[in-house]
Amino acid sequence: MTPTADLDEFRATVRAWCDEHVPSDWRRAQTDVDDEQFVDFQKWWFQELRAAGFAVPHWPREWGGGMSVAEQIILYRELAAHDAPRLVLAFVGIHHAASTLLAAGTQEQLQRHLPAILGGEIWVQGFSEPEAGSDLASLRTSARRDGDSYVINGQKLWASGGMHADWCLLLARTDPDAAKRKGISYFLLDMSTAGVDVRPIRNAIGESHFCEIFLNDVKIPAANLVGAENAGWQVAQATLGAERGLTMLELAERLGHAGFRWLVEACRRGRLIEDAVVQDKLAQFDIEITGLRGLCRDLVERSETGTAGAADASVVKLFYSELLQRLTDFGAEIGGLAAHTQLTKPISSGWESGSWVLDFIGSWEWTIPGGSSEIQRTIIGERGLGLPREPSAVG
Amino acid sequence: MSGKFKEFHDELRSVASDLLAKDAAVDWPLLAEAGWTGLEAPENLGGAGAGFGEVAVVLQEMGRAATRSAYIGGTVLSVGTLIALQPSATRDALLSDVATGAVRTAVALSRDGQDVDPSAPFRIESSSAGLRITGRSEFVPDADGADRLLLLANAADVPVVVVATAQASGLSVTPQPVVDETRRLSVVVADGVMVDESSVWRFDGDPGTRVRRLLDRAAVAVACDSVGLAEAMLSATVSYAAVRHQFGRPIGSFQAVKHACADMLVRISVARQLVSAAVEAIADDRTDAATAASMAKSYATAAAVDVVGKAMQLHGGIGYTWESGIHVYLKRAALNRSLFGSPAAHRKQLAQRYSQGT
Repeated sequence: MTPTADLDEFRATVRAWCDEHVPSDWRRAQTDVDDEQFVDFQKWWFQELRAAGFAVPHWPREWGGGMSVAEQIILYRELAAHDAPRLVLAFVGIHHAASTLLAAGTQEQLQRHLPAILGGEIWVQGFSEPEAGSDLASLRTSARRDGDSYVINGQKLWASGGMHADWCLLLARTDPDAAKRKGISYFLLDMSTAGVDVRPIRNAIGESHFCEIFLNDVKIPAANLVGAENAGWQVAQATLGAERGLTMLELAERLGHAGFRWLVEACRRGRLIEDAVVQDKLAQFDIEITGLRGLCRDLVERSETGTAGAADASVVKLFYSELLQRLTDFGAEIGGLAAHTQLTKPISSGWESGSWVLDFIGSWEWTIPGGSSEIQRTIIGERGLGLPREPSAVG
Repeated sequence: MSGKFKEFHDELRSVASDLLAKDAAVDWPLLAEAGWTGLEAPENLGGAGAGFGEVAVVLQEMGRAATRSAYIGGTVLSVGTLIALQPSATRDALLSDVATGAVRTAVALSRDGQDVDPSAPFRIESSSAGLRITGRSEFVPDADGADRLLLLANAADVPVVVVATAQASGLSVTPQPVVDETRRLSVVVADGVMVDESSVWRFDGDPGTRVRRLLDRAAVAVACDSVGLAEAMLSATVSYAAVRHQFGRPIGSFQAVKHACADMLVRISVARQLVSAAVEAIADDRTDAATAASMAKSYATAAAVDVVGKAMQLHGGIGYTWESGIHVYLKRAALNRSLFGSPAAHRKQLAQRYSQGT
């Protein structure tokens, strides 16, 4: 454990850095920008953080990370307190791609990709399909071995940031005859390969960061297989939950700082702050956010010591998603008609940008993807509480 | 929490859980024998020199077992009050007696048992015959049967504690039966009780802060109890849902039941975080203790009512019977929610920060 005095010093360092480096006007500047400006801004901010040693604090020291959990908690708190931009574009690369490779990748794969991610390589997750959403294991995209390569055919959906991605984490079926979780393999796909076609899908708030990825006779070298053939499901499962602690901690801290502050300000602007019902709602949100922050800190610490329960990450994801939805709903109500005139929201912000109506509509992006709230409840019931499975359970 | 503390807590929890499982009611001598009355008192006064964190473990286990005992009034509030007072030979002697269980006391802290505003329920007036105590405090835990009463009183607008024997003339303790049969509450009335100056004990440090902290302590104590009883009900519901069959399958395999259990766990998980943060804030006497206490009391006691209500629902017809005992938990959870400030009252306290600027 890092001594308290060292943590205080670290906190002071992060604060000083934030004061100097977090651009004060980025929200305004990042509203109504085109894709290219967004990507440039994200890549610039990533390199700023990287130069300070703050981009990948959770990575092992030899790859450029090595911060203690206590330090990471402080880092994310301070970034949230200073309302720093979020790393939206680098997210899959620094979290999912890196943790997958660190857990199951070969030395060559690590050498090839981790430095490149630090250099700004963008990743996308190619898991979901039109017929495999909540029931991810029923995915159909096929990978057929052909000499030193696999030939991929199929279609991926909801690949966030797909049009900017250099590489894709791809799940595909290598054994069509095996039980559905036992015939899946995990690949690294270079998005510039022939036969890869990316088409953006407009979401409910009009943004197009989700993509469809069409894969037509796409060749992936066998060296880009992660883990053993047909062990892809286990590889994916092992890294999904472990990542949730820190990424959720960051979001919870943002909700607790800028998010709640804007909600209070919205109530003040609407001259509703003295209203007893409004005060009660604010206090309720304040309490729930405080509880969420505690849960996230707990999850991060337990993940580190290997004592996290099988459904702890699901508890956090479910609670955050629904709290975000209720909070943005309240913001939209309090914001009144004025909130409806905010037709855009700053990209690079958190899920509560203060454009309340868009935030509210956008909150379904939390309750549906990444295992919908219904799936999370089933996981909590079965893995967390040990309740019996559905009799028709398959796979 | 460091490893050593965690080990001690686990040990305490396991001992408490075993002992409390034996009987729904735990008499005062047994509480003393277990060492729970003296957990927080200093070692030189016969206590264990532990802290509120350890007391919280016992409280949670008592909630889990829906234990009938005088622990909240006789120990948690009494010891909390006595250690907040200026040390003196008489204070130390009483603290020692309370810690060893030789004497049982109760604390009359608030006018109505639910006011979050720290205004003393009693007042002291000087008369030619001496000091005269008047006032009324309702829903005082474990006052009935106490040897002495600690009355929070105003002496010229400064809160102090008056120590009166239960037999004092003009002092009455009348039980107030409530729907929850696991708690003993009483109305304490002082109608011109005459005491001398040596019975008036002053707070150590700022009296206003000390009183605030006592109310916070009371609120958090109840929140600990609510977490324990909610955990017990979730556990009972999960066990029942795994064995009870309808339509040819365990009811726990139905999503409607499973998801309801998941929601119970989520609420309890959040409550645990808030309560352990509040326990720590009280134990360390931190300046943010009032905020942490209001958050914990508001969330945990409301969540417990929801959780136990859901437990009754998911147990079906059997859950509604007297025999099942779930009603005991539901009544206790509902009482906990009201005692020492409703969730709404605590949220109102918290909300003062928003209009004043966060």
